Amino acid sequence: MDNCKTEEEMKGSEMGENPLIRLVDVSKVYRLESGDFTALNHVSLDIMENEFVAIMGPSGSGKSTMLNQLGILDVPTTGELSIDGKNVSHMTNLERTHMRRDTIGYVFQKFYLIPLLSAYENVEYPLILRYKHRDTTGKAAAVLKSVGFDEEMSSHRPSQLSGGQQQRVAIARALVNDPKIILCDEPTGNLDRKTGIQIMDLLAGLHQKGKTVILVTHDQKIAEYAHRTIQLDDGRVVGS
Amino acid sequence: MRDIFFDLSVRSVRLNFMRSLLASIGIVIGVVAISSMGMLGANMQLSVKQQLSIDVNTIMISSDVVRTSTTAGAPSTSQGVTKSQFNDIKNAAGTNVVIPIHRTNTQFTIGSTDGRGSIYGLEPDDIEKFLTIRVGEIPRGANDAVVGSNLATNFNLVVGTRIKIGPANTENRPTVRVSGILPARGFASDGVNTDNAIIVPDTWYTNQYGDKDVYDQVNVIVKDVDTIGAVETAIDEKVNRKTDVIRINDASGRLTSITQTLGTITTFILAIGGISLVVAAVSIFNVMMMSVNERVHEIGILLSIGTEKGEVRRMFLYEAFILGLIGAVVGGICSLVIGYSVVSAMIGNTTYFFMPDSILYVPEGMVIGIVVCIVSGLYPAWKASNMDPIDALRSE
Ligand SMILES: Nc1ncnc2c1ncn2[C@@H]1O[C@H](COP(=O)(O)OP(=O)(O)O)[C@@H](O)[C@H]1O
Ligand SMILES: [Mg+2]
Repeated sequence: MDNCKTEEEMKGSEMGENPLIRLVDVSKVYRLESGDFTALNHVSLDIMENEFVAIMGPSGSGKSTMLNQLGILDVPTTGELSIDGKNVSHMTNLERTHMRRDTIGYVFQKFYLIPLLSAYENVEYPLILRYKHRDTTGKAAAVLKSVGFDEEMSSHRPSQLSGGQQQRVAIARALVNDPKIILCDEPTGNLDRKTGIQIMDLLAGLHQKGKTVILVTHDQKIAEYAHRTIQLDDGRVVGS
Repeated sequence: MRDIFFDLSVRSVRLNFMRSLLASIGIVIGVVAISSMGMLGANMQLSVKQQLSIDVNTIMISSDVVRTSTTAGAPSTSQGVTKSQFNDIKNAAGTNVVIPIHRTNTQFTIGSTDGRGSIYGLEPDDIEKFLTIRVGEIPRGANDAVVGSNLATNFNLVVGTRIKIGPANTENRPTVRVSGILPARGFASDGVNTDNAIIVPDTWYTNQYGDKDVYDQVNVIVKDVDTIGAVETAIDEKVNRKTDVIRINDASGRLTSITQTLGTITTFILAIGGISLVVAAVSIFNVMMMSVNERVHEIGILLSIGTEKGEVRRMFLYEAFILGLIGAVVGGICSLVIGYSVVSAMIGNTTYFFMPDSILYVPEGMVIGIVVCIVSGLYPAWKASNMDPIDALRSE
């Protein structure tokens, strides 16, 4: 009875603005031979549209696990996760794939560009996934330009690019399908200080243009770009 | 507009060029084995069939009614095919060649030596339709005759030798002059055993023996051996209306059983070719598994940024298809060269090489090669598409 009431109250109070991401009592348990390991422990959390959130915590605290849930690369063991109003556990595999393609953009620490595709093709790729044909609108090139990538390098393979250039391509790839959410796992972790700042400026600019940016980092200076910091320790939220 | 997954596959094949090439060589060998074995079998069948059908393209028709002799103890002889039956046969046979034949046994004398043999009465024009002349020519004059090879050897016959026909003690025996000598025919499958025979013009025969409108045998030589059954049925329906008055025979049963045997041999050698494709399938499977295992991380990237499982599967099936296509094209070209050499070396006759029954083994072998590749790629592709993106991303 009590539970019901609180839930109703919560919904009532947020009538006007529903959270873009809502975690209710989310746990992630890895089943290992040595026993179960709880990487996320009963996490409840709301993230509103156009927030800039940093997730911080010591190594092994569950930051990446958390980001994998938010990016629906993985589903919670228990609890409820809704993204853009849809309960992730009720979606089919294909629906999750389409949400990753259309609603979420990923920026990884090690860039994770497709090695066999050129810089331009890497950015064009999500458009092809979505529209099932090559880009004829010039969007891929435009987005690549907007992240400050040198046009002359478009035909280069990732292995021919510097870290900063690769991360710009990765951000362009994350942006090209105009997702609501940008997820970044230590986006500056493999970059020098100066390049890291350029990339962070880029992400801050995206937030200003209305994107919801969620960023995992253990660097306090980087976290200062965000407007809200979620502290994780041992799979629990210890500060928000 | 090209599919990006196809591009990715092409690039992957190019990146691992040596490995892909080696796997394709397996397919090349498989395609060559299947195609050239198949062509060998087909050419063998076609050429044997051609050789045999010269022998088995003849329908032999004789009377089914036995003439009972007035003299007790005399052997009963066939009544013969009457003129009206012969005309019916001719109508039923259509454009096929119909040859009326008279035959009896006779004694004869050459110089001072007596002999015994068959004597055939044939229209001179008909002789060349199924017999070849080794020395001399077909009868031109009314008293000319062609003789069989045994007779010619045993009696030292040459063109111009004269033969007296009839029992030795008869007076005023008619004489024929040898105008040609036949090669050995052996036991002929058309019932005309000429080796110990004298062949005279039909007018000479009927003048001598009568029976002008009754034939001992009628042969129908069909142009296309495959129609022999139909022609026989037509003749049977036309002539054997109420009761069986004529007997219809042929030697095509022999052809059927030989072609069946050859078919079995072809299947067997095709199966040997098939084994090499199984080996090729294993090597393609191996290369595809290597490709999947080497690209786990890349697959992780593709899956995590929203590539559908089906699209990942497609990418790897394209790769298998490309390997198969390379192997099939190279194999197809090699098949033509190797198949031609094998056929000419083993059969010594390439007349039938480009006939559909033979040459179609090349595209068939190519298609089989590609299909084998795609089938070998099914499991690797399935494995790639069902990876967990997080696990795949972590592997580096
Ligand atoms: N697939 C997995 N199987 C088992 N344990 C895992 C797996 N992924 C992460 N973990 C464990 O969960 C904990 C949290 O990991 P992670 O989220 O990567 O931490 P962080 O990113 O904060 O360093 C770690 O102790 C890690 O060993
Ligand atoms: Mg981590």
